[in-house]
Amino acid sequence: MAADQNSGLLQRLVLPPIKQAHWKDTLPDQLQRLRPGSLNLISHHWEMRCRDLSSLIELLQGEGFRIASLHTQEPLTAISAQALGLPVQLLESDPMASDATPSDDSGDQSSDTKPDCTTQLRLHRGTLRAGEQIETAGDLLVLGDVNPGANVAAAGDVMIWGRLRGIAHAGRDGDRSAKVVALQLRPLQLRIADQVARGPDDRPQPGLAEEARIDAGDIVIEPANPRLRARMSIPATD
Amino acid sequence: MASTSRTILICSGKGGVGKTTLTANLGIALARLGLRTVVLDADFGLRNLDLLLGLENRIVFTAQEVLAESCRLEQALVKHKQEPNLALLPAGNPRMLEWLKPEDMQTIAAMLEKQFDYVLIDCPAGIEDGFKNAVAAAKEAIVITTPEVSAVRDADRVIGLLNTHGVTPVQLVLNRVRPKMMASQEMLAVDDVTDILALPLLGLVLEDEQVIVSTNRGEPLTLNGSSSPAARAYGNVARRLQGDDVPLIDPSKEGRGLRAKVRRLMQKKIF
Repeated sequence: MAADQNSGLLQRLVLPPIKQAHWKDTLPDQLQRLRPGSLNLISHHWEMRCRDLSSLIELLQGEGFRIASLHTQEPLTAISAQALGLPVQLLESDPMASDATPSDDSGDQSSDTKPDCTTQLRLHRGTLRAGEQIETAGDLLVLGDVNPGANVAAAGDVMIWGRLRGIAHAGRDGDRSAKVVALQLRPLQLRIADQVARGPDDRPQPGLAEEARIDAGDIVIEPANPRLRARMSIPATD
Repeated sequence: MASTSRTILICSGKGGVGKTTLTANLGIALARLGLRTVVLDADFGLRNLDLLLGLENRIVFTAQEVLAESCRLEQALVKHKQEPNLALLPAGNPRMLEWLKPEDMQTIAAMLEKQFDYVLIDCPAGIEDGFKNAVAAAKEAIVITTPEVSAVRDADRVIGLLNTHGVTPVQLVLNRVRPKMMASQEMLAVDDVTDILALPLLGLVLEDEQVIVSTNRGEPLTLNGSSSPAARAYGNVARRLQGDDVPLIDPSKEGRGLRAKVRRLMQKKIF
């Protein structure tokens, strides 16, 4: 899964299967093997209410750990985490949320130049609403809108088949060639690698997909159609 | 209709956008259509559905006593004075915070569903424990919002949470619409809101001073057949819930006709 690739960057804490042991018992041993800092918490099927989760957070904080994000299969746990303001990923029980697709549109020159490991694509169907968040170690494709208050981030490109009105971060791990593409690109904020820009304030032109990328150190927004690119360019307000 | 009971959560995320007003008016409107309706006030910390319905002084027991089996459900249900089809059940009393659990709300809702056609749950503001309690009991939901950026943002967040809880269908009521401000683009347009929230629009309620008057009196607008814009809107929401195909009002045409002018004039004379 795409989420597993995060392990290279952040250490993971995986709670034991429910039937084997309670996480409260195994936690001290597990923490011994990790170094204090940020970690991704994978809670699988543990159903945690706000109280359970905050006691877990306290336990971790006591040992010098911070939860960077929570991965769970339980909607209830996801809700608790959202209520506590933790970035959360609700995994589906079967690993179909992401599939690696071969890059068959060979017309796109930028995807050809990238190494194979980052062409892993995470697909999300449906609108991302305020407070929701997706992060992935590959490219991200959202079939739906990204509403104001929602957050998408990918180590590769962010592509949105819909309207982008939230915050998007492409090239999260520092890839300055990453792009953000959307049918309507009116984000609150755009980030590519370590560059940050506010979205444009003008009304979008209908029917033009737009793309944001880094050009000469600044984020620029242009029509995604390369033939139109020469004729018009829309500056992003820095 | 008695065989299938509908449990509908009325929520908004943000406070003060009109959840309780909608619950009270919708309850009355449904009851007037001849449907046995109960309104459940899940906001037990700061409950005021009873105030809007003018039933504050009649509450003896709450759902907490029913769950503790210190009274029967029939004793806790408060029948409305003028509208016998409508009953109110307060979830708890303000002194007993943090008493109810999501399972308790499910138990109560299941008891009510046996007796009523409609169970309307008035959700507290916010997305914390009170919201989770209320949402646990709900099967479908109405999200109410106003054409303001903050209310729409909170509604969006709540819709996301409703989706993760598997509450469906979720419909939208847009409250406190001011046609003039929309026309001059000083206020978010109806399309702007439905664009972001992407929900079917169940009703448009115009800003209406009569709502404040009726709230303070404890007599919901829909009760006495008032013809004020908000009263008609609430009535239409009830009919649409019942499957009637009532067209939505067009805010740009509202308040222009001769009838509307006469009505405004009359209201000024009377009050």
